[in-house]
Amino acid sequence: MVSDFYLDLHPFSFKVTSSIPQVLTNLQTIYGKNLVKYDGQLCSYELSVCKASGVRRIIRPQARFLCDQKEPFKPLSLQKSYAFLEWGMNWTIAANEVQHVIIHSAVLAKGDKAILFPAPPGSGKSTLTAYLAHNGWRLLSDEMALIIPGTKTVVPFVRPICLKNQSIDIAKNLFPDGQFSDIAKDTHKGDVIHLSPPQISWDAGKENAELVGVVFPNYTANTDLQIYQLDKRQAFMQLVDNAFNYSVLRGVGFSTLANVIEGVKTFEIFHNELAEVKDFLEQEVITDG
Amino acid sequence: MDDINVSLVIDLYKKPLKTKELSLSQWQKVILVLRHHQLLARYYQRFVETGVFDFLPEYCRHHFINGDVIAQNQKIQVEFEANELVGALKGRVEYLIFLKGAGYSLSDHPVGNGRVYSDIDVLVDKPSIVNVERQLLHHGWMPESVNDYDDKYYRKWAHEIPPMRQSKRGTIIDIHHNIVPPISGRAPNVSALIKEVIHTNDGYAILSPAAMTLHSIVHLFFNEDMKNGYRDLIDIHMFMSKDADINYWRTLLKLAQDTGFEYELFLACRYVTRIFDTEVPDYIIAALAKCEPRNIKLLDFMFTKVLTPVHPYASPSFFLMAEFFILVRGHFLKMPTHILIYHLISKGCISITCALLGKHFFEKELKQP
Repeated sequence: MVSDFYLDLHPFSFKVTSSIPQVLTNLQTIYGKNLVKYDGQLCSYELSVCKASGVRRIIRPQARFLCDQKEPFKPLSLQKSYAFLEWGMNWTIAANEVQHVIIHSAVLAKGDKAILFPAPPGSGKSTLTAYLAHNGWRLLSDEMALIIPGTKTVVPFVRPICLKNQSIDIAKNLFPDGQFSDIAKDTHKGDVIHLSPPQISWDAGKENAELVGVVFPNYTANTDLQIYQLDKRQAFMQLVDNAFNYSVLRGVGFSTLANVIEGVKTFEIFHNELAEVKDFLEQEVITDG
Repeated sequence: MDDINVSLVIDLYKKPLKTKELSLSQWQKVILVLRHHQLLARYYQRFVETGVFDFLPEYCRHHFINGDVIAQNQKIQVEFEANELVGALKGRVEYLIFLKGAGYSLSDHPVGNGRVYSDIDVLVDKPSIVNVERQLLHHGWMPESVNDYDDKYYRKWAHEIPPMRQSKRGTIIDIHHNIVPPISGRAPNVSALIKEVIHTNDGYAILSPAAMTLHSIVHLFFNEDMKNGYRDLIDIHMFMSKDADINYWRTLLKLAQDTGFEYELFLACRYVTRIFDTEVPDYIIAALAKCEPRNIKLLDFMFTKVLTPVHPYASPSFFLMAEFFILVRGHFLKMPTHILIYHLISKGCISITCALLGKHFFEKELKQP
């Protein structure tokens, strides 16, 4: 049976249509009361995840993602359908929204002071994100930081944390009460799971925060915490590389990122102990001066 | 009251004051329809020009501005790509003319503001094509993968070669040597168009507004694919409305006669006036009257359906039938019967397999997008 849901994820909202039970149960697990039955609410985008037609309904069934009438990706195997929807939402925002500078980065805040964590997969970024989000910080976003052009203000776009491979077991041990999605197996990043952030992140889901730091984390086993102050030019270029719509925004993108980098502390850290990172961030990065 | 239909979407363009009457849930659907047809930026321009934009609800303004920023970026990007292409092909071609969307963007005609398209179309002299393909390879343009049948179709019968994609920037270029497939028997002598080439301030070769209009008309009415029909009809309407003086109309008519596309011009004038109330001068109507075919009632029925903004939220009745009719008509226009039969059998086998085994049966599954 096909069902329509309304997903209110400030600052965007989605109508999600799906006939796949896995998608619906996972949406409920991850988004809780932000997910309601669709009843004509005004939404930014209409998305659907449905089964591919033909014999592919039976033999090696696949899921298709559509943003309105547009199918930006080839189908994936059915067991990845929930993760497919999450990626599809990211694509929808990255392809259509140009009124924020959007960076592929986690962003967390303590009070109204926020830190960007842009980092490639495998750097332990999402584990750190999950840890902070469960220890007094609030998650504004795990994958897409929305910066208001010309400011250092980040708009929350609260979404689940995407954990991969070994991080899945680590996270399940660290947060036994966490709301986890099913595992999407065998993606190009390996196995992937989504974890809903704790309630405080959802509750503060409309409160902007001001950037005070950009931190590039690297998880390295057997290494005590090492902290390097990052050269502004390097930090700037790394932000540019991680920006989804930098080329579309042109001058606005450049000046916004330059303004961010000039106004915040920039670090690269190597760590194997999450608690030490948290202490460092709280004592050195989000304090004044 | 929350539903929309095609005439509402068209009316918003024709009479922007109508924007006041829409409910938010109608806007939500209108915006989906416009995004689907790549028309957000086009309508944005129209609403700004007519002074209604600032009065639209915040929800709409947000989506229209997104569309406009993306379109503006494309305009800048096309200038960059045009410069790259001119550099790469300098001295290798007799001429390099930017057609359709890219031509509009490079021109200073308002049709270039808010026009969104997926490929850059260029016209080069046929003898240079092999050279152009090789030269572009050296500059990072790779041939798009098409199946063997399509490759053969392009090279043997079509007026263009398979598209090429810039490997770093992802832009796609379509290289033409004529404006319609030679196999149709209707391909004009390109020199009639070459005479109409003008140069932009930056030195890019594009067609004059009259020749751009004719090309757009041929592209729309000598074709089987109406997916962008409504968008293209707006372009034609804009050409025929903005600075369309007597010289423009005379050139357009003469060009249509010289290239053998008077009938297509007749159809364009007929439907652009029916749908957008465009002012076409009487002497043009009179000069084209002889083109009226016996089956005009049938054509009217079909074209007034396929030339509208179609979407699951706004679909004219009998649309599928009209679309199929135009598809069949377009194929007959483009190919002699024996080639058409061969083409349909080849394509048919592929489609039947896909229908039975799933649309993506032949495609390799990726692990992640």
